[in-house]
Amino acid sequence: MAVAFGARVSVAPDVMFRLVGDEGVLVNLTTERYLGLNPVGARMWSVLSSASSIHAAYNQLLGEYEVGAVQLRTDVEEFIDQLLAQKLIQIDRQNTPPQA
Amino acid sequence: MTEPETGERYRYGVYGIAITSDTRLPLPEYAGGGFAQVECLTAPASVFLTATRDARFDSAPDSWYQYAVLQDGSTYVRWDSVGEFLVSANGRQLVCRRAEESSDESFQVYMLAQALSFALVTQGVEPLHATVVVVDGRAVAFLGGHSFGKSTLAACFLDGGYRQLTDDLLVVKTSCDGVVAYPGAPRIKLFSKVANRFTPYPMARVRMNGGTDKHIVPLEEQSSCAIPVKLEAIYSLAAPRDACRTTSASIEPLSRREAFLALVKGTFNRRVVSQERLARQFSAMAGLADLIPVKTLSYPRMLDRLPEVRDAVLADHAQRLD
Repeated sequence: MAVAFGARVSVAPDVMFRLVGDEGVLVNLTTERYLGLNPVGARMWSVLSSASSIHAAYNQLLGEYEVGAVQLRTDVEEFIDQLLAQKLIQIDRQNTPPQA
Repeated sequence: MTEPETGERYRYGVYGIAITSDTRLPLPEYAGGGFAQVECLTAPASVFLTATRDARFDSAPDSWYQYAVLQDGSTYVRWDSVGEFLVSANGRQLVCRRAEESSDESFQVYMLAQALSFALVTQGVEPLHATVVVVDGRAVAFLGGHSFGKSTLAACFLDGGYRQLTDDLLVVKTSCDGVVAYPGAPRIKLFSKVANRFTPYPMARVRMNGGTDKHIVPLEEQSSCAIPVKLEAIYSLAAPRDACRTTSASIEPLSRREAFLALVKGTFNRRVVSQERLARQFSAMAGLADLIPVKTLSYPRMLDRLPEVRDAVLADHAQRLD
């Protein structure tokens, strides 16, 4: 993943997200594509899209799940790559706080 | 859009909406209320020719189905050998012309489902592609695409003494009491062998068109339900090709995420994809997935096995009541 962990994730314009139970559903109104997220994906989305940085989201998820740090980093990177490929998120580098 | 000539009007209620028409329609009379209104008017071919003079069609010129969004925001849609329709930009007017070779019954099926769905979506109503039967006063919906067997399964329920609420197009509304399903036209579309097997009045049926063996079978009063009914469950029918290896009926609950995707896939109108519509559909289907259990229903596509499928649905219904 080329995205720095100090960067911040924001939801792309024209993307809607909603929790249904503990899962998530998304629609990209521009590409007209719908997507479903399992409970882990839905939680990762919620944390990533509200955290001040990817690193902050990573730290929060590390505290919530019984997962190794390396594995979680890989999972977060892959998740962000998939979201970027589907044009569901944007990476805000301008307002990126310094990486912790 | 050009105004057709005005004259006598008939008022009906279907799908929870009020319909005014200049021709008689096989629908229940308007009984008040309605969360949307559509005026159906007939017009000569010249009205459609004028309206579509500069239209850019979204389908091949030789396709039997033609669709275009016109410059004034209205929608033109035509099925060769059936008829053509203009839906006004606000969805409140549906101007129609029946093709000479079409029967009234066939034309009205398209008018009151495919064409009307554009008016519904434009007015903010999200129709589902589902056939619904009433079990113990609750609506049970069978969701699925064209030729998935929704009506065939419903016919088996009719044969068992149950009533149909709607065939093919379902409108629901969420209120504080839950989700309510609204009645459609009192008729069902069936292949002749299905109609022969499950419906008692073969003489009344009318063939849809020359290209299909599907028939329109009017339902008698005791076989149709004309009042809104609380929706209890939605069964998403497995595609016939996926069910071909199935040896018995099986019902599997869907997670809410899976339910949402099944509901979006089960929309009656996939043509309108404006951002406003997609956003509304997203909210409506997510809300529905939160409130109503959605399950997949797989079963062998054999007429003789359908009573078993009906029994499986009824057993699932009984389990919900316990």
